[in-house]
Amino acid sequence: MILEWIRFVLIAVLLLGALLSFALAVFGVYKFGFVMNRIHSAGIGDTLGLFAVTAALILATGFSFDTLKLALLVLFLWFTAPVSSHFLGQVEFFTNPHPEDELKWEGTLTEEDGRPDRKQ
Amino acid sequence: MKDEFAPRSGWTGRFLAWLDGDLDLLIDAADAAEEYDAPREEIKEKRRERRQRIYESERGRAIRHAERRGFYIGYTVIAVICCVLLIGVLLYAIANLPRYGQENRETVEVVERYVEHGLQETGAVNIVAGMILDYRAFDTLGESHVLFTALVCVMILLRLDSKNMRTDFEDYYTTRIDRFHETYRDVIMQRVGMLLVPSIFIYGIYILLNGQNSPGGGFSGGAVLGAGLIIASASFGMSGVDKVYTLRASMIITFVSLAFYSFAKGYVFFTGANGIENHIPKGTPGAILSGGLILPLDIAVGFVVACTMFGFYSLFRRGSIGGET
Repeated sequence: MILEWIRFVLIAVLLLGALLSFALAVFGVYKFGFVMNRIHSAGIGDTLGLFAVTAALILATGFSFDTLKLALLVLFLWFTAPVSSHFLGQVEFFTNPHPEDELKWEGTLTEEDGRPDRKQ
Repeated sequence: MKDEFAPRSGWTGRFLAWLDGDLDLLIDAADAAEEYDAPREEIKEKRRERRQRIYESERGRAIRHAERRGFYIGYTVIAVICCVLLIGVLLYAIANLPRYGQENRETVEVVERYVEHGLQETGAVNIVAGMILDYRAFDTLGESHVLFTALVCVMILLRLDSKNMRTDFEDYYTTRIDRFHETYRDVIMQRVGMLLVPSIFIYGIYILLNGQNSPGGGFSGGAVLGAGLIIASASFGMSGVDKVYTLRASMIITFVSLAFYSFAKGYVFFTGANGIENHIPKGTPGAILSGGLILPLDIAVGFVVACTMFGFYSLFRRGSIGGET
């Protein structure tokens, strides 16, 4: 009985946490103005939110073959979502004519770094 | 000197001109390409001049004459009549449908037949696969041909060849900047591709081969395979995929799949309509080799869908299939 209650509380906490992280992600995507910040907040939902939902599902269904499938789902999404964020950020960095307005980096950038001068 | 805007007379001439694509007089590809580096004022002046030239040419006069004669009014009237007729037919068909939730004797008969005799008659556990690839196979054949036609249309529009080569500026842009953005130069993409591509291909083949037993089949499996090809080309570069997936290979695969589908299904429909035994074994329901023709047809449809998906990606990405321009 106690164990059932602990399980229920854990599931509830995980689901509420997932809800919170998704809400934060949506809020951030609309609140922030710069692309990199938006990517960051969208990534919260893609990683933490998905993990919390899937962990809650694993706890709720009990351990079976489906657990492995759900775990693989998390692994798959953790591999793919950051890659898309990475490429979005790369495209923003290489196509924004004035990235120094919003970003900071060490040293200077030349054409060899892949930021050709677009003004020509 | 031959007048480039010389009118072609008669209906045949106008139709041929429309086929040649030179009915749109305002677009002169060579001039438009030269304009890339020119200043704005010059471009405007050039365009104004061209418009004037077209207006004064024989061809422009012919078109204005045709407009006066009501050629374009007739064209519009015919288009409007066709649209109104189509809308009317569709509305009439919808108005005669049975109301939602009301019992309709004919549909109930069809549903009962599918649910009660589907497994016995098609040999497929997945009744949906039995429906779309056995009872309603002509519908699916049409869908596959629509996909192939769409691929051909996109190829006509987007394929780069000597007729629509890009300007020097664009070539500079593509070779210099676009090459840097190729995703396969990114080590993250390469490593993730090594993990993703095999699993996606295995999953696609699984869906393709289990269409008669579980949800899935040709369209979904082919879509997964096409996505796998796209991710493979994005992670390891187009050159690897180009060795396998050339324009010729794609056309041969699509043609063989569609021809096999047409002939196999034509045979089955012919024998079925004439009450002849067709000698195609149904197999044990639930096994992979079951469902008679459903598994081969699923594979054929899957090939067509995969070729179409990757063909779209390749054409939109770089204007050619298999690197041939």
